[in-house]
Amino acid sequence: MSMNNLSRKSLAAGAAGLFAAPAGTARPETVDELIARIRDASDKVRTEAWLNAGKAGAPAVKPLAKVMTDNDLEVARAAKRALWKLVRDAGRPRAGRQTRAVEAELIGLLGDDQAVLVRREALWMLSEIGGRNSIKPVAQLMKNAELREDARMSLERIPTKRAITALKARFKAAPEDFKAHIAQSLRKRGEQVAGYPCRKLAPTRKTDLKPL
Amino acid sequence: MKRSGQLNRRQFLAAAGTAVASAPYLIPSGVLAARGRSGASERITTAHIGVGGRGSKLLRETKGFQEPGLVNIAAVCDIDRSRLARALEQAGAGVMPYHDYRYILERKDIDAVVIGTPDHWHGVQVVHAAECGKHIYCEKPACCTIEEGKAMVASVKENKVAAQIGSQGRSQPEAYLAHRYLVNGNIGHIRRVDCFHYPSPEDKNPVPDSDPPAELDWDMWLGPLRWRPYNKRYCHGTFRWLLESGGGQIRDRGAHVMSCAMWWMGADGTGPVTIEATGTPPTKGLWDSAVLMDVTYTFRNPDWVLTWRQMPNDQLPPAEERRPEELNNEIRKITRPGYGAIYRGDRGEFIHWGGDGGTWAERKARNWKLPAGGRDVYRSPGHFEDWFNGIKTGAKTIMNIEAGVGAANLCILGNLSYILGRKLEWDQAKQTIVGDEAAQRMMSRPQRHPYHL
Repeated sequence: MSMNNLSRKSLAAGAAGLFAAPAGTARPETVDELIARIRDASDKVRTEAWLNAGKAGAPAVKPLAKVMTDNDLEVARAAKRALWKLVRDAGRPRAGRQTRAVEAELIGLLGDDQAVLVRREALWMLSEIGGRNSIKPVAQLMKNAELREDARMSLERIPTKRAITALKARFKAAPEDFKAHIAQSLRKRGEQVAGYPCRKLAPTRKTDLKPL
Repeated sequence: MKRSGQLNRRQFLAAAGTAVASAPYLIPSGVLAARGRSGASERITTAHIGVGGRGSKLLRETKGFQEPGLVNIAAVCDIDRSRLARALEQAGAGVMPYHDYRYILERKDIDAVVIGTPDHWHGVQVVHAAECGKHIYCEKPACCTIEEGKAMVASVKENKVAAQIGSQGRSQPEAYLAHRYLVNGNIGHIRRVDCFHYPSPEDKNPVPDSDPPAELDWDMWLGPLRWRPYNKRYCHGTFRWLLESGGGQIRDRGAHVMSCAMWWMGADGTGPVTIEATGTPPTKGLWDSAVLMDVTYTFRNPDWVLTWRQMPNDQLPPAEERRPEELNNEIRKITRPGYGAIYRGDRGEFIHWGGDGGTWAERKARNWKLPAGGRDVYRSPGHFEDWFNGIKTGAKTIMNIEAGVGAANLCILGNLSYILGRKLEWDQAKQTIVGDEAAQRMMSRPQRHPYHL
């Protein structure tokens, strides 16, 4: 049997060429062009668009967030994926200025004027690239009943001492039913927490089924 | 796989005796058992966490060990009431049903747990079970994040429990033949292993979010994952096609095929220095794992390259045709030709198909006879049997927690490189990505309260 029928060259990389930047676009795509392609009716065009959204940078953050609430599920999904692509590109090593510019735009998505799904996504994006500027606005959302758990987890992941300080501050002010959540994050970050023992092994949910 | 029904007590204990220097975890009481049947105190009392899909098959397999008295199934657990009810029927009289696995961990009479939950639960449940002193059989892949893997290794070691990860390819009869063939230099020095697999599926019929079905505890299905509305494309089974829960074919089958590669290359405990991935995503739908994928792992000291490729079906290497006279209880027809690996040495090549419960070695390895002075390798008595051996003797299992995490880490790092769109550098000794802070953050994932490591 021949073993050479499995080519050593990159097959998937070749296939990835299917989604290369649109032909003839030597100049960078404008944000409007990106959004238009994200809204396109074609699955293939939308996919090409979000795959190439990485370099769109900070100016594309808010326009993409707006499309994330589109009534067309696939358009909304393409916008979300484009935004993630952009965030991951901004988080690459030595991208400092671009990282901070995107971070600033993401912080702008945490406000009450945004849909919950957008704010939740922004919290998780900030968990990956957020720095000192993100701490206060993320911590603020730990007061929001719908978003506090995501905010807590986002803050837990930001590797700065300020994040720990913010978690401690929120722990003091948090309602009783949320203190154990914050205590979990504080322990994860190496802090001692008195009065709120870990509950991970405490069973809570019973079945009504009986043995045969 | 050889079933326990075919393994009598003498054979089992002979296998168990392979690690005489290890400290046993379970001390036999000395009560004489009936011939071919273990004494009550030698039986391992098991509980099954996650009993639908693959978990159901694990339960059925364990049932096979109950008849000869090797195990006693005491409990089943699932967060889907319908699946739990079916498992209860399957398990039989006297087995206790649970919704919350933590009730099982509280029971002192349960020696071991068999975990067949979706991947995003593995890390948390393995750590919790180890902390409660339970021996563990956990489905592959071992973990979803690097941090989970570290915690799993630490908790299993600290609590001195036997763990077996369900990459059962290592325990297949033809895996033994392939391993023996390769380590005896039949294709010379191996510098490259190319794993192949058919593509991950695309969701052709996406649906909007909806209310979860009444029988499903959606919140607990999510467990450690961030909360989101239910969508029926998440589960059951289809969690595999989402990066955060299943990771696609690279994590689902990569944990099998690359597990064999690490075992046969003698590379357990080592890791790549660089990982570079490309791939193509689905064009619509909820699932986001790469459809086609190409990952290159570069190892140093010794130098070799491991690749993982999801490729179009028409580019997969054809399966070897097996002649009827070749087939027997151990050598079977290739029924899953769509994945495997090609080992490229300086004196030839070798191919195997499968790598999980079905592992098929090329004819030349099957026909090769070990010469006098040749090097033999460990022959697993079966994946469960090997685990029982580990429980009873303290011997290291064939797919022990370090090996399981090592294989899963390859899958995780491949996906991380794909997601980030850049090459990653890995420090195996420190178990960390080097020089990329965002990637380092993604080595862990914050977990919802109270479902955490």
